[in-house]
Amino acid sequence: MSISIASIEMRGLSKALGDRLILDGVDVRLHCGECVALTGDNGCGKTTLLRCMAAQMRPTGGEVCWFGKNVIDAALKRRIGMVSHESRLDPHLTIRENLIFAGRMCSVSRPGLRADHWLDVCGMSARADHRPKQLSRGMCQRISIARSLIHEPEIVVLDEPFSGLDAFGTKWLHNLLRERTAGERTVVFSTHDPLCAESLAGRVLHLADGRLQEAGLAATARYSCPANEAA
Amino acid sequence: MKSRMDSRTSRSGVSIAITAGLLLAAGVAIAVAPTEETMGVAQRILYIHVSVAWLGLTGFLVMAGCAVAYLFRRNLGWDHWAQSAGELGWVCCTLTLITGSLWARAAWGTWWTWEPRLLTAFILWALYSGYLLIRGLIGDSHHRARLSAVVAILGALDVPLVVMATRWFRGIHPVAPSMEPSMRIALLLSVAALTSLFAILFACRRTQIRIEHLMPQLENQIDRSLNSTARPSPTTMSHV
Amino acid sequence: MTTGLWWMMSKDLLCEISGKRSWPSMMLLGIVVAVVFALQAQLPQEQRNQMCGVLLWVTILFAGLLGIDRSCSSEQDDGCWEALLAYPVSPAAVYWSKLLVNVLSLTLLEILLIPAFGTFAGVRILNPIAAIVPLTFAANFGIAALGTLLSALTNRLGLSGQLLAVLVLPLMIPVILAAAEGTRLIALGRIDEEWWRWFQFLIGFALIFVTVGSILFEFVVEE
Repeated sequence: MSISIASIEMRGLSKALGDRLILDGVDVRLHCGECVALTGDNGCGKTTLLRCMAAQMRPTGGEVCWFGKNVIDAALKRRIGMVSHESRLDPHLTIRENLIFAGRMCSVSRPGLRADHWLDVCGMSARADHRPKQLSRGMCQRISIARSLIHEPEIVVLDEPFSGLDAFGTKWLHNLLRERTAGERTVVFSTHDPLCAESLAGRVLHLADGRLQEAGLAATARYSCPANEAA
Repeated sequence: MKSRMDSRTSRSGVSIAITAGLLLAAGVAIAVAPTEETMGVAQRILYIHVSVAWLGLTGFLVMAGCAVAYLFRRNLGWDHWAQSAGELGWVCCTLTLITGSLWARAAWGTWWTWEPRLLTAFILWALYSGYLLIRGLIGDSHHRARLSAVVAILGALDVPLVVMATRWFRGIHPVAPSMEPSMRIALLLSVAALTSLFAILFACRRTQIRIEHLMPQLENQIDRSLNSTARPSPTTMSHV
Repeated sequence: MTTGLWWMMSKDLLCEISGKRSWPSMMLLGIVVAVVFALQAQLPQEQRNQMCGVLLWVTILFAGLLGIDRSCSSEQDDGCWEALLAYPVSPAAVYWSKLLVNVLSLTLLEILLIPAFGTFAGVRILNPIAAIVPLTFAANFGIAALGTLLSALTNRLGLSGQLLAVLVLPLMIPVILAAAEGTRLIALGRIDEEWWRWFQFLIGFALIFVTVGSILFEFVVEE
């Protein structure tokens, strides 16, 4: 694992929503090829943290850098892919058109071919002309993941990607994320499943009271989780 | 203790000075300035009308300036100034329309006419109202500051139209009516006195808004410190 | 920026043509309002020429706002705004794509509406066509510039229907006034210095609000 360049660095990050301080001075460095799991209770701010990390939310204080550069530059977004826990597919386009549009916006060459490839990877080629409303939540989630990866980003941020996926989908995503990290890409994902975090991530971070806690290396440490504490 | 007493003394001094200024302006406008030949006593409405019209315009520019400052600095203090200017400006704009209608009735025999300058003054009032409406609909302070700043800046582009209306469009509104020197003095005194009043109200209202903003944060901090003394907090590492 | 802009525009146009989301209702509303106004205008020719400008442009404004609002409210469905802003394009590019699609919508509306209104109201506003075309084009940019920005703002608040007209109409009065006066002068056959003054006013208005809209859009869509 290469350590020298931080692919994502957040310095003193804070975010307030209304009068509530969601993130309070978060500092974190993630390196190329790391796979990091983010855990925390419902409503602790995981989605907010990931959205700030992916430059989809402007922090109230502090800064976010990708590969040493401030994320204000819109062109840098080509190097990142974000999967939200809602699919956010355009309901007026077919899933193939959604993928092609994403490819075009990210300047992918031959977006049509790439879209067909990803439909195949998702096992959804037969439903290429379906609109998102005609598909299940799990299927939309798979297409949403494909959309975020169609331009082969170096950083992948996923917000509860396993929610809504069946056993086949979960295994499919597991393998996909392993492939990403093997290719020196940085993966950050949030999850409520401790087993998933431990099996996939090399590092687990726990968010509580607006601060990040190092929950240690997944293989050797237990992070603070009600299920684990009860065991 | 001494500095608090000094600041209270200076605030009282300012209030007394402004009150004296207002009384002086009123006195000159009512008793010293002569009665206009054509319109009679109704002409004296002009001393208030011009003053509040000028403040309505100025308030909008101040509001837009503070809005721009907020968008650059992202400091809610600027938004508090903008809100204060917006509220006072709305009051001044409303008074402009009311006093303008009274003056129009006396001068032109109608409560309202679709003359360009009156129209653009109404537009300004509508823009202020839109600004305050937007502010009332958004709960999050930064979100509210940002979106209302956009509305304020858009509205500020309308202000030159108000100022230039009588040059760009033909209309019956007097541009710079000829006045006797004593009338001019009365007008200037009214403008100065009402501007001073606007300035002090602007500062006071802003202080009020700032206190309203700080109260929930103080309550949250008190709740948090009460909770933390009730149970031990987890060990946190801020740097990971 | 231009590549992303082109693809965003083509996506919106594709959705509109295949889904028929707003153009049919916009056109229908325009025609109905135009007929209603024309029915009321049982006046001598001279007075019809004087009134036609404001009646036409109020019609265009109300019908056009329907389409402009829909261009932004469609992105509110299923969180598409967030997805659109996540792409490597600047917010200004997103604004320009919506603006140009809205200008096209207004142009299509006017291609149908202006001849229809001229016929129903019995006024000659297409002659000369070299006067009405640039006038409407300049006005469309002004209307679309403000409408796009404020539609995005009100949609982000989830209150587009109620709030858009309240915010937009006071700001639109100068452009409607200028366009109406320009159209009135065309109907009166007076393409003179006064007409040029109104045309230049529209150009200036469009330039100002397109520029300001490009800058402010980022603050509207930010989270």
